[in-house]
Amino acid sequence: MVARRRQRLQSLLAADRDASSGSAVGLVCARCVSEVSVSGAGATVLSRLVHNEDGDAHPSRGLVHATNETSAALEDLQLTVGEGPCLDTFESGGPVLVADLASAESRWPAFTPAAVALGAAAVFSFPLQIGVVRLGSLDLYRDAPGPLTRTQLADALILTDLATEQIVQELDGHAIADLSWLADPHAEVHQAAGMIQVQLGSTTDVALMRLRGYAYTHDLPITEVARRVVRRTLRFQPESETS
Amino acid sequence: MSKTRDQRLATAFVSLADTLVADFDVVDFLGTLTERAVELLEVDAAGVILTDQRGGWRPAAASSEHSGLVEVFAAQTRQGPCLDCVHSGRVIASPDLSADTGRWPEFAGLAVDAGFRSASAVPMRLRDDIIGALTLLRAQPGDIDEASVELGQALADVATIGILQQRAVSREEIVSEQLQATLHRRTVIEQAKGVLAEHGNLNMHEAYTLLRRYARGSGRRMSDVAHDLANQALDPDELFGRHGNSRSGQPPSSKEASG
Repeated sequence: MVARRRQRLQSLLAADRDASSGSAVGLVCARCVSEVSVSGAGATVLSRLVHNEDGDAHPSRGLVHATNETSAALEDLQLTVGEGPCLDTFESGGPVLVADLASAESRWPAFTPAAVALGAAAVFSFPLQIGVVRLGSLDLYRDAPGPLTRTQLADALILTDLATEQIVQELDGHAIADLSWLADPHAEVHQAAGMIQVQLGSTTDVALMRLRGYAYTHDLPITEVARRVVRRTLRFQPESETS
Repeated sequence: MSKTRDQRLATAFVSLADTLVADFDVVDFLGTLTERAVELLEVDAAGVILTDQRGGWRPAAASSEHSGLVEVFAAQTRQGPCLDCVHSGRVIASPDLSADTGRWPEFAGLAVDAGFRSASAVPMRLRDDIIGALTLLRAQPGDIDEASVELGQALADVATIGILQQRAVSREEIVSEQLQATLHRRTVIEQAKGVLAEHGNLNMHEAYTLLRRYARGSGRRMSDVAHDLANQALDPDELFGRHGNSRSGQPPSSKEASG
């Protein structure tokens, strides 16, 4: 049942990508609107772009995707006032779910009245991240107050995983279908990323890219590559010969 | 050794209460809880799994981070007493795992190979919901007694309160937020374990133990130390400089190659 829900959303998005030239993250936002029953969805991608094999990372300005003007304005608002649910997701590492925004004025004195004035009555923010690698946030709003149902929350979390995978894919160009590496906090993938970053003297995001790159070029599951790294049968070199 | 069970129980709850302070770290807390469960319930390993709220279950803590045990706990998110427990909401026990290969073909074999012969799982309840389970594994076959099940349930309830970081949850959203935050912190810990394992040629259990010991010694939250390590804001040498690596807490049947 679980796998079916994930598969369904994955195949919907695959069909969307075939039918549209829009950005993959933008398509995830659109699916949030149709599948999670929200009024609008926006995403700010804060990621650092990896440009070369030496692992030089170039910081990029936040790139905003939004399904409507209100969502776009809500993304801007948080950055302007320096507070809001999307920024809080990075503090806690978990989502920030506010079913009744009007009651949250003490939490965000600047953000709340402005967001309500824009037409948001409920906001739900999900961090796009892989451990310490922060990629952005996915921010949903509703024009009427009310919580997400369990099913909607599950779909929103799965769409968050899919958006995260899409962003990484846009960075490294490697489409990896198995998302288990993202969703399993105990996975050896994360241990391996930590090991590889020491081997390369790089950041975690670069280590993850190299891990994915190796999996892709050797046609191996990413979990298998991670296992070899953790078992110390595979090491990565600072000068790339693998990807 | 000569302490009565009641004394050990009191000590365990005091040590758990100690961690429930302002600078509370949920991952450290769950790790401590599983260790106390091992002592109090006289089992050989304990672990906590949590709902990922996408319909799946994830290991969140274990009494040891040895890879053999981690694999058993990972396997039971797919099959076994733990999964049956979270689905049914009841305590599920197997007094002899080697006789349960029909019931759990994948899990029973893996657990027996790792040196375990009996298992039980106690649900972590929040009102009408099951948010996870506490699993207990023993190297000997046999039924777990009623008193141990009750004590296990008390520990599972403490784990639930710890994850929510408060006794009374006013909004259902808080539960979801805290569960996801817990899983996120766990991911960061794994990344930091990798950094330490590679830097100091440690196995994952040693890396975890060093991380936790350093955090406690320096009065910081383990999750924060892990975050700084993975983000290169903290030099791993700091951890090796102050504390040697630890080799405590070996499970009875660890088959792990550390190098």
